[in-house]
Amino acid sequence: MSLQAMRKPHRRGLTLRRAVDNTLTYTALVTMSFVFLFPCLWLILASFSKSGSLYDTRGFFPASYSLQTFAALFTDDVNGLYPYKRWFFNTLYVASMSCVLGTVLVILTGYVMSRFRFKGRDGIKRLTLVLGMFPGFMGMTAIYIIMAQLGLLNQLEALIFLYAGTAPMGYLVQKGYFDTIPFTIHEAARIDGATNLQIFTRITLPLSKPMIVYTALTQFAWPWSDCLLPKLLLKNREQWTVAVGLFSMPETHFSRFAAGSVFIAVPIVILYFCLVKHIVNGLTAGAVKG
Amino acid sequence: MQASARRAKAGGRLSRLGAGMKALVAFLRWAPPKVWASVAVMGLGQMLYRQYAKGLIFLALEAVSVWYFATRGVTDLIGFFTLGTQQEDLWLGIAGDNSMTMLILGIFAFAILGFTAALWIAGIRDAAFTARAVAQGKKPRTFRQTLAALADEKFHVTALCLPLVTVVLFSVLPILFMILIAFTNLGGEIVYPKLADWSLDAWRKLTSVGQLGSTFGKILSWNVVWAISTTLINFLGGLSLALLLNKKNVRFSKFWRAFPVLAYAIPGFISMLGFKFMFSQSGPINSMLVDAGHNSIFFLTNDASAKWWARGIGLFVNAWISIPSIMLMASGILTNISPDLYEASTLDGATPFQQFRKITLPFVLFSTTPVLISQFVGNFNNFGIFFFMRSGVISNYGDYFLASDTDLLINWLYNLSVDNNYYSVGAAISLVIFAITSTLSLAVYVRSAAYKQEDTYQ
Repeated sequence: MSLQAMRKPHRRGLTLRRAVDNTLTYTALVTMSFVFLFPCLWLILASFSKSGSLYDTRGFFPASYSLQTFAALFTDDVNGLYPYKRWFFNTLYVASMSCVLGTVLVILTGYVMSRFRFKGRDGIKRLTLVLGMFPGFMGMTAIYIIMAQLGLLNQLEALIFLYAGTAPMGYLVQKGYFDTIPFTIHEAARIDGATNLQIFTRITLPLSKPMIVYTALTQFAWPWSDCLLPKLLLKNREQWTVAVGLFSMPETHFSRFAAGSVFIAVPIVILYFCLVKHIVNGLTAGAVKG
Repeated sequence: MQASARRAKAGGRLSRLGAGMKALVAFLRWAPPKVWASVAVMGLGQMLYRQYAKGLIFLALEAVSVWYFATRGVTDLIGFFTLGTQQEDLWLGIAGDNSMTMLILGIFAFAILGFTAALWIAGIRDAAFTARAVAQGKKPRTFRQTLAALADEKFHVTALCLPLVTVVLFSVLPILFMILIAFTNLGGEIVYPKLADWSLDAWRKLTSVGQLGSTFGKILSWNVVWAISTTLINFLGGLSLALLLNKKNVRFSKFWRAFPVLAYAIPGFISMLGFKFMFSQSGPINSMLVDAGHNSIFFLTNDASAKWWARGIGLFVNAWISIPSIMLMASGILTNISPDLYEASTLDGATPFQQFRKITLPFVLFSTTPVLISQFVGNFNNFGIFFFMRSGVISNYGDYFLASDTDLLINWLYNLSVDNNYYSVGAAISLVIFAITSTLSLAVYVRSAAYKQEDTYQ
């Protein structure tokens, strides 16, 4: 009796505290989800709006819905102003080509920098560190001239070379991943007479699928959503990528913008959700190793 | 103590240099005629050792290099120093020199020169390697053996070859070019067909009291405020979100996590353009304000009252975009903290807040210092936010020169050098940005434990 009497108020205090804690936690969670979801929802609904212009909507949500903006996106290019279909295939071409080339280059760089000790390794490390501290597009004027000299202005290939060619600068995440693969595997293979090339292709690559997936994803997402370089190097509307095209759309074409954004964001969002585990691993690897 | 260490280091360098000289003299004394053949003509030594394929490759590369320097390389090298001597004359039909192109082709010629020299040395060393092997009674390597070596003990050379070339061409070359541009008078009045020259004009303009100098001061101070506040907001926001989702009483945390991941997955430019429309003059927020009987607010418009609205919205939008990635990273790190630490501290009577301060925060800070720095540098140079949300805004009311009151240095740099051809001033600004970000990050980076302990993880 006396024991129970002593315990009871204590437990009640605990449940009260837990209830308060739960309420606070879930209020925070709901607020957080609302803040992140609402703008997305707004944009998605706007893409199904019947009227095209931002001026016609009062408040956040359109008065009536239809699918015609999506149809118009692909069929009606407003006298060549917004050829979305061309933009889409341009973007797809650039992003997938730079993804393949860039991934190969980054993985190779990361692997060599992780596993080999050679003269000039420290030099390369220091050089990339210093290069990374220059503002991103500081050399844009120079890149324009270089591309003009190579005859690649107004060509999608210029973008592919640029994205893939500068990708090795970000090798640190990949290096961090390869550092975690035990050296002993490497040594055992060497004793068995494997060459370095064989160790790389037969042992390391199969072991590093998560890192390859992460690298490919980041190498794809960057050209998929970059606006600056295409804006600099592509002058014909026909040659643009989606990002430049969407950037050029005014408020009167708001639902066209929304539809175009939704269409290009959906595949990448799905990709991210499928691969969120790999992404977290990649982010954490980069964090620990810098 | 430090000074003496430095002196010892310098002494070490000197003695190493001396040793190198001695080794070179010894090498020259030792070198047999076939090695000297490689010194005279690239590939000749290899061919004398009957390594024909390799020798031919060296020879062909030398031929290409000689052909390049004979046709244009030498002219380009001279052009690098003169930056053009012949101005375009339309009346006489004389094509003029373009200083900018000459500068970049000059840098390129230097790069080719360096590359040829490296190849030459590699050829000599290869011949010497074969000479030593032959002296020991071995046979010179066949071409197939050479290829096999490239896949094995020289694998790092083979693998790094292509990345190195592309990075040099698309990253090092442009940056070198811009560094040099900062010391010419290119841009403004002086663009093609006018000829440029080497000068310190841009630096004089930036540090003078004129409109350019005052704009620079204003933008720089806002840039520092922006970088510090947005990095803090994003870091604390991401960390608290991760802690929130990590709480024991949160059920379906995967479901809740989906919302920030959604924001993370949407391409950044779409979010930024979307928010631009949301806060625009005729956007939904303003239309609701008007319907409720208020005046519309100039959120992002070109108006003096928009200054702090736009800055605040910039902070908010950047937080919306970046918090999810920091959350993902932080939750990855949080799972690495051993639960024993928390259990032990609970037994010792620690409150949750004490646990956060003494366990969670130090652990997260330790593992994320490098990321925090790169976040800071990235935010310092966050071009996208104000480019997408306030493109084309030039604040003429606030005495800004080709910039708006929300622009960061990097936006101003873009306005100056890409949109308005102020090349040398733009380049000087990028050097200032570099100086700031690199000093800051190097200072913290070298001290951070994650950098010092590189090899302890392996």
